Amino acid sequence: MSQQSAAVSQAAQMSASVDMMVDVRGLVKRYHQKKAVDGVSFGVRRGEIFGVLGPNGAGKTTTLEIIEGIRASDEGTVMVSGLDIRKHKRAVQRIIGVQLQTTTLFPELTVRETVQFFGSIYPKALDANDLLRQVALEEKAKAYPQDLSGGQRQRLALALALVNDPQVVFLDEPTAGLDPQSRRMLWDTVLGLRERGKTIIITTHYMDEAQVLCDRIAIMDDGQIIALDTAAGLIGRLGAQATIDCRLDGAVITAEIGELPGVSKVREANKRFVLQTSQMEPTLLALLEYATRRGAALTDLQVRTPTLEDVFLDLTGRELRPEQA
Amino acid sequence: MATFFSLVRANFLMVIRQRTLIITSLGLAVVSILVFGYLFSNSGATKTQLGVVDADHSSVSAQLVSQLQHNDLFNVSTGSETAGQQALQNGNLDALLIIPAGFGTQLTQGGAHLQVFYNQSNPVREDATRLAVSAIVDGINRAATHQPGPVTLDEQGVMVASKNLRTIDYVTPGMIGLLLMWANLSVAIQLVFWREEGITKRLAATPLAPIAMISGQILARLLLSLAQEVVVIGLAIWLFNVQIYGNWGLLALVIVLGALTMLAIGFAVAGFFKKSQAANAGIILVTFPMMFLGGSYFPVSQISGVLGGIIHALPLYYLNDALRQVVNNGAGWAAIQTSVLVLLAWIVASMLVTWRVFRWQ
Repeated sequence: MSQQSAAVSQAAQMSASVDMMVDVRGLVKRYHQKKAVDGVSFGVRRGEIFGVLGPNGAGKTTTLEIIEGIRASDEGTVMVSGLDIRKHKRAVQRIIGVQLQTTTLFPELTVRETVQFFGSIYPKALDANDLLRQVALEEKAKAYPQDLSGGQRQRLALALALVNDPQVVFLDEPTAGLDPQSRRMLWDTVLGLRERGKTIIITTHYMDEAQVLCDRIAIMDDGQIIALDTAAGLIGRLGAQATIDCRLDGAVITAEIGELPGVSKVREANKRFVLQTSQMEPTLLALLEYATRRGAALTDLQVRTPTLEDVFLDLTGRELRPEQA
Repeated sequence: MATFFSLVRANFLMVIRQRTLIITSLGLAVVSILVFGYLFSNSGATKTQLGVVDADHSSVSAQLVSQLQHNDLFNVSTGSETAGQQALQNGNLDALLIIPAGFGTQLTQGGAHLQVFYNQSNPVREDATRLAVSAIVDGINRAATHQPGPVTLDEQGVMVASKNLRTIDYVTPGMIGLLLMWANLSVAIQLVFWREEGITKRLAATPLAPIAMISGQILARLLLSLAQEVVVIGLAIWLFNVQIYGNWGLLALVIVLGALTMLAIGFAVAGFFKKSQAANAGIILVTFPMMFLGGSYFPVSQISGVLGGIIHALPLYYLNDALRQVVNNGAGWAAIQTSVLVLLAWIVASMLVTWRVFRWQ
């Protein structure tokens, strides 16, 4: 091996690590012999929104807390912006912002005092009033945390995660239990953060959230990452299966529908037809044309493409959120 | 520096906005001062009835008796020991002082001793009498040390005793001590609450070192304690003319030491609880008996047996003793040395326990 090629490979490694804002390798965390995190490795690029999707107890939170320096891992390494979390915890914590799954704050400090207090921890902090305006809490500046609504409390937690103008923001289930409006608002904020060049790592068990927000998604189950890709890439694994659901009134024959292009399966019950197809658009066009030809009235048409829920179901044989409607 | 200032500021806001904390510390002390100041305003201001038995019949003992007779603090009656003991039993005397035979000779050679019997029917009065008598002995000793030979009682030394301890005078240092206990032991509840609610976990995600936050809390509680003591002592002086006989600097030092002792114990206690509700109950369980057994309201030094043993292990007992020595007795460093050492021992022991069992997260 020449010195030159060694230098080249080192440079390549360096450029890779500069590109990787967060680099996690072989993370293991045991609780009473059970592995809560079981060999997790992934990299998050600078300026990316990285989602960790999985059911409760999958190890999402533990993984995040190790990266944030709250817990120590039993095995593995974590580098944030090229800094080893074990060796440079404080330095890492100066450039990250964290929103925990649940945030209880000092009940004796007002909203503004809380933001100022957290700001005072860092060498440089954003102005408390500006920050409160950004999360639409300026009117609550003098309120105490326990007097805020759930959504307002989450926004305060978000403000605290941003108080040091961090390079990496960790959001652990930031929209859990929020009303749809608050969720939208948070999504806008997160997308705004990416526009300002922040790297964001977000955990969720809402698939729509992961699909809307995340550039890439790691699906976690039982302490392991079982898939990692863009939302489209993950869904693409299912072979572009789509479901067409409609009602046909008229002289139609189920077998003929089953022979339309792309259709792999068809079921009929009470004039209601459910088609599985691998080529959604050709099937749909053919179906419309068939209905016209047969003089049948086509109503209640629904087309459903697979979601991350279907991906999870496909990977684990279980539903992501069995308890939720 | 700016960080530390804002840490202390935030912690100070946290403690000063806790209504329960303010009520149990400042509120309790102020109400007690008012109650004891007004309710017992007439008691205690009379002269100490002192019986003196001179069994020595020397010039030295005669001089001592004469000094006592000229002291404004005492109403001295002389007589035989049998008569004196009878008067003590009947409650006509507060104390009986016996000058044993050979006292004069022993004093010049060293190793002289006086015998004192106290009337224990009124603890507050008994304590006042004890202070007065010990001041006399103190005076004799000082004179003997500085001028060997025939004893001339040091007037200055006896002057120290020429103060009348009223109930309010006795209770005021007790309230200074009690306030320190309530205001600082409760740090345990705060710490357990932070941990229970995940506040310490949130802080663990920041570059703030736990020790910085803890220091901020300690400093905030010290400030709160000092501010509250200013109110309590100010009220006692303003409303009831309570005299602080000792050095103000020494008093401040004892107050700070007392606060630190209670804080250290609070940290140790916090290591044993997971729920702030349980910690709250635990603290009440400790503070309530100590409130009375620690000698804040009435003297407990003469209680013997198991209870006496318990009392002599309580940090509040030693804190109150040191405070009383400085406030009522005008004592210097020597008189509070033991108490200070015991409090320091409590701090060290508590820190060891804290180090073993306390977890920040």
